[in-house]
Amino acid sequence: MASDSSADVVIVGTGVVGCLVAERALDAGLSVLMLEAGPRVDRWRIVENYRNLPPSMRLFHWDAPYPPKPWAPHLETRVAKESEQYLQLEGPNARAYLQGYVRYAGGATWHWAGICWRLTPEDMRLKSLYGVGRDWPFGHDVLEPYYTAAEYAIGVCGPSDPALQWPPNAERSKPYPMGPIPFGPGETRLTEAAARIGMMNLPAPQARNSGVSYHGRPPCCGNNNCFPVCPIAAKYDAATALPKIEAKGGKILANAVVYRVETGEKNAVEAVHYFDPNKVSHRVTAKLFVIACNGIETPKLLLLSKDDRNSNGVANSSDQVGRNMMDQPKLFAEVELAEPLWTGVGPVQSSSILNTTQGEFRNRYAGAMFRMENFARSPLGSAAALKKGLVGKALDTEIRRLSACTARLTVEHEPLPLPINRLTLSSKTDWLGINKPNIYYDVSDYVRRSAKEYTVPRLQQLASELGATSFQLSPEFLNSDHIMGGCIMGSEAATAVVDADCRAHDHQNLFLPGGGAMPSGTASNSTLTMAALALKAADAITAQLKHG
Amino acid sequence: MGSSGHRLGALLIGFAGFLAADTSHAADTAAVIDRGAYLATAADCGACHTAPGREPFAGGLPISTPLGTIYSTNITASGEFGVGRYTEEQFSRALRRGVRRDGANLYPAMPYTSYAKFTEDDVHALFVYFTQAVKAVDHSAPKTELPFPMNIRLSMIGWNLLFLNSAAFVPDPNQSAEWNRGAYLVQGAAHCSTCHTPRGFLMQEQTSRALSGASVGPWYAPNITSDPTSGIGSWTKDDLVAYLRTGHLSGMAQAAGSMGEAVEHSFQHLTASDLEATAVYIKSVPAIHDPSDEASRFTAGRQSSELATLRGRDGVKSDNGADPAGALLFAGNCVSCHSAEGQGSKDGYYPSLFHNSATGAKNATNLIAAILYGVNRVTMGKQAFMPGFGGQPTDANPLNDREIMALGNYVLTHYGAGGTAITEQQVAEVRSGGPSSPLLMLARGGIAAAAVVLLLGIAFVLFRRRKIVSRPAAAS
Amino acid sequence: MLIPHRLNAEIGKRIGSAMSQLNPSLSDHVAGLLAIAKQKNAKIVEDFFPDVPDGPLKQTALAIISAWYLGVVSDAPDAEVFAFEYALMYQPTRDVMTIPSYAISGPNGWSSNAPPLSDMPEF
Repeated sequence: MASDSSADVVIVGTGVVGCLVAERALDAGLSVLMLEAGPRVDRWRIVENYRNLPPSMRLFHWDAPYPPKPWAPHLETRVAKESEQYLQLEGPNARAYLQGYVRYAGGATWHWAGICWRLTPEDMRLKSLYGVGRDWPFGHDVLEPYYTAAEYAIGVCGPSDPALQWPPNAERSKPYPMGPIPFGPGETRLTEAAARIGMMNLPAPQARNSGVSYHGRPPCCGNNNCFPVCPIAAKYDAATALPKIEAKGGKILANAVVYRVETGEKNAVEAVHYFDPNKVSHRVTAKLFVIACNGIETPKLLLLSKDDRNSNGVANSSDQVGRNMMDQPKLFAEVELAEPLWTGVGPVQSSSILNTTQGEFRNRYAGAMFRMENFARSPLGSAAALKKGLVGKALDTEIRRLSACTARLTVEHEPLPLPINRLTLSSKTDWLGINKPNIYYDVSDYVRRSAKEYTVPRLQQLASELGATSFQLSPEFLNSDHIMGGCIMGSEAATAVVDADCRAHDHQNLFLPGGGAMPSGTASNSTLTMAALALKAADAITAQLKHG
Repeated sequence: MGSSGHRLGALLIGFAGFLAADTSHAADTAAVIDRGAYLATAADCGACHTAPGREPFAGGLPISTPLGTIYSTNITASGEFGVGRYTEEQFSRALRRGVRRDGANLYPAMPYTSYAKFTEDDVHALFVYFTQAVKAVDHSAPKTELPFPMNIRLSMIGWNLLFLNSAAFVPDPNQSAEWNRGAYLVQGAAHCSTCHTPRGFLMQEQTSRALSGASVGPWYAPNITSDPTSGIGSWTKDDLVAYLRTGHLSGMAQAAGSMGEAVEHSFQHLTASDLEATAVYIKSVPAIHDPSDEASRFTAGRQSSELATLRGRDGVKSDNGADPAGALLFAGNCVSCHSAEGQGSKDGYYPSLFHNSATGAKNATNLIAAILYGVNRVTMGKQAFMPGFGGQPTDANPLNDREIMALGNYVLTHYGAGGTAITEQQVAEVRSGGPSSPLLMLARGGIAAAAVVLLLGIAFVLFRRRKIVSRPAAAS
Repeated sequence: MLIPHRLNAEIGKRIGSAMSQLNPSLSDHVAGLLAIAKQKNAKIVEDFFPDVPDGPLKQTALAIISAWYLGVVSDAPDAEVFAFEYALMYQPTRDVMTIPSYAISGPNGWSSNAPPLSDMPEF
């Protein structure tokens, strides 16, 4: 049994990665203590927070229903000034790294879309096949069983027809645990239009219960609010795992901000130190430590923990901690259409075009995923119609038209792991006196070339196939909230932070699973791959502790 | 099932059956087996004798109780572990008298007082089905070992003398064939009275108050007599048939807990004519009126909301806060599915919270249990699901007793039996599995060691406490 | 008079008191608007709105309408919300689009069907 200061396994972070590792470790009979920087808040509170937000805050400010505690700051975007408070960003594409993650128990899956794409075998061999980026230290066949296990652990629904599954060229060992969620009118029209120009809009596998309950969570009833919060927990988020972890004997400490990893003999990790909300420091020991507090907070913590043995920071003899920061640089187009499309029926995202992510062109420019945002556009339509000064019937008619006949089309580009894209410690400190993260970000010519030669023309083509009468492209690259690369994986200790099991090359009892470990970002959502890496790490962790 | 020595007899019976199996006989046997299977469904044997995720009828469903765990037995054709070596007479004795092949008494968790109504013909069909058609599963279910004095099975003899009416069903010549069929099913196989008839001090069914409502562990099996206010006199025959087939009647009621299981495993599979017969009989059950019922539980409450006043007032917070008001809990936990004004979803999947027996009943047990344990029932391949809010340690949105009290009272005030109020203790009681019998207290005090007859009645309490403890695991 | 729909009196009270704090001349403006409506024998907003002069009177009229549609009287990030579920902005599309966070139907009960734009719901 874990105490408040010791356990077999101490896990920093209660997001999807930490929770999956915790459940596996508990199932294997290990004691587990989880440390979470932020508060633990009931779902219903967050749902009401969302409803109590002014309309302009509800749509694109996904952190707004999660006001941070002073000791666990995260990005807030309600006003421009606020968004500069925590993340310190620089470089030509600073705006594209404005990452919205939640420092609450349950982590950023609180407001993820639930999309669960797998990587293709090619996505894991960029260097060998296209001469760019890095290769993974193992093949797709090694990852596949973990993908399947992750899909069953978090409950992923998806099509049973292989022609609609992704990747198209790799066998699945098991079908999805649930069938697909139906399309609304908008996705149906998009799929038809895309098909006419060779873009295949696939029903997305999603961690959302389709038609039936799963692990005691209810089926999705189309609340269309996956972000910023699923009101009924039909979508998996790690907050739903917390009671399960406690039922298995795991211990969860909220409001515990880990600020230092302590090493000892043979450079093993001996303890982590955290501040409580009264700024009192506590030391926690374990046989093995897992740091899973996302792609920004994990490298930040490692860099904060430099000591005599590890002058670059913990796990950083390769100097790669905090480098290779990745996310899919995103562009979107607001389009107005001649005919109604009707979004806002079903989940906020439920399909994507992925055949555009693959091809020989990847030796020159990035592949990209295209999709349509399926959130209800009635608030946008209403705001726009009111702005026109309309009243009475004309107002209602225009609201209906602008809500039905507009859309946001999105393209997300594949990033490359580039050492210059780097997280360092800012000289600015937070409420506890901890250095804020500073990130330099340049999407690189690989992405810019893709946008210019490939994706923007394709996006225009897709829009016109949908019958667009206007097309407004976002002026710069934006974030996709898929934080990857900062603790990159590789078989060589000299060039990578973690090994194939997400174990730190420098510390035999320290694991850093999650997006930070991913050697390639690819154009699709990262969570399922992070979850698979968590389960792979969990296997290694239990083997290491059970069998030495 | 520890007895031995009848192996030869069992073999001989099996052998004789084999010799007689010419083709026409085989067709007859197949028909008997079909009928036996149907009766086993009507009697819902699987509800207790099939453990979740295990082979049908292999037993082993744990029935956790404060006095120990009762395990249902293996009733497959297995000779060593099941009923494979039972003679038809032994089988009948177990089914209708509660006496095992080795002579030991069954705990009345087995509703043999109802099954006593079975005709010889139907017992035969069940016997043939279980001994010839149900796949033998050759492992024993865990043994039930209750502490003293509950472990003295012999004491059930006294109880049986007092309360077991061993006569098979006798048709009433003054009633229609349909009514008689319904009466046979309701009193026998469907064992409705096991849950819906209140119990006396010795846990015997009070026949004078038949089907007028009783506690079933954390749930309450309501009055289903023909009284228009206290019972279901306002339901048409078609309403009742639809309810039994789907577990759902818009603007009236939904089946949850053990009734949800009965609909899922039993009623939905019955023939149209049997459901209609059941409805005809139930509609004829003498009305029993509870004088405290001023209005029917199906008409209470109305569509309403406090959101016009409350929306926005609470702002945006990063804390859970102590003692949230019922209106807030309702807005945060209920309206996402049941709609802002409690009217349910347009397609009826999420029921309206007003005009709903769970909220309209003066006894709020089912409202509390529904909030704690949710609803999970599958009919015709379609699931009706509501998550629990804290009845299980793994529920995603756990609420504490105080919160459920506040939420429940908000729901009662706006959508249900307005005069009723829930207390925190009541929620705690339902969370712990339902009210305990005064007998249980006696037993714990040690007084009852001599009054064994009394004590064994407790087995009923145990049985009736079962569902909540065992089923949520089955739901996953 | 400004909004041809069923309105909730409680929300009206809250909007009214919030608006009069922002705009001390609110009641004068409302009286002015009513006077124009009366003069035109107006039954619906279209009957008199073209006669409302540009300026404070019209601004107030549009602000009242906006408050009922958006559920707020100010666009500040911490503005108090008076209506979400009852905000009129969701009503012209309520036959198709979800009011976010509310069930559109039972599980997987939606489809790709959508009625024509001309089928304005009544509200």
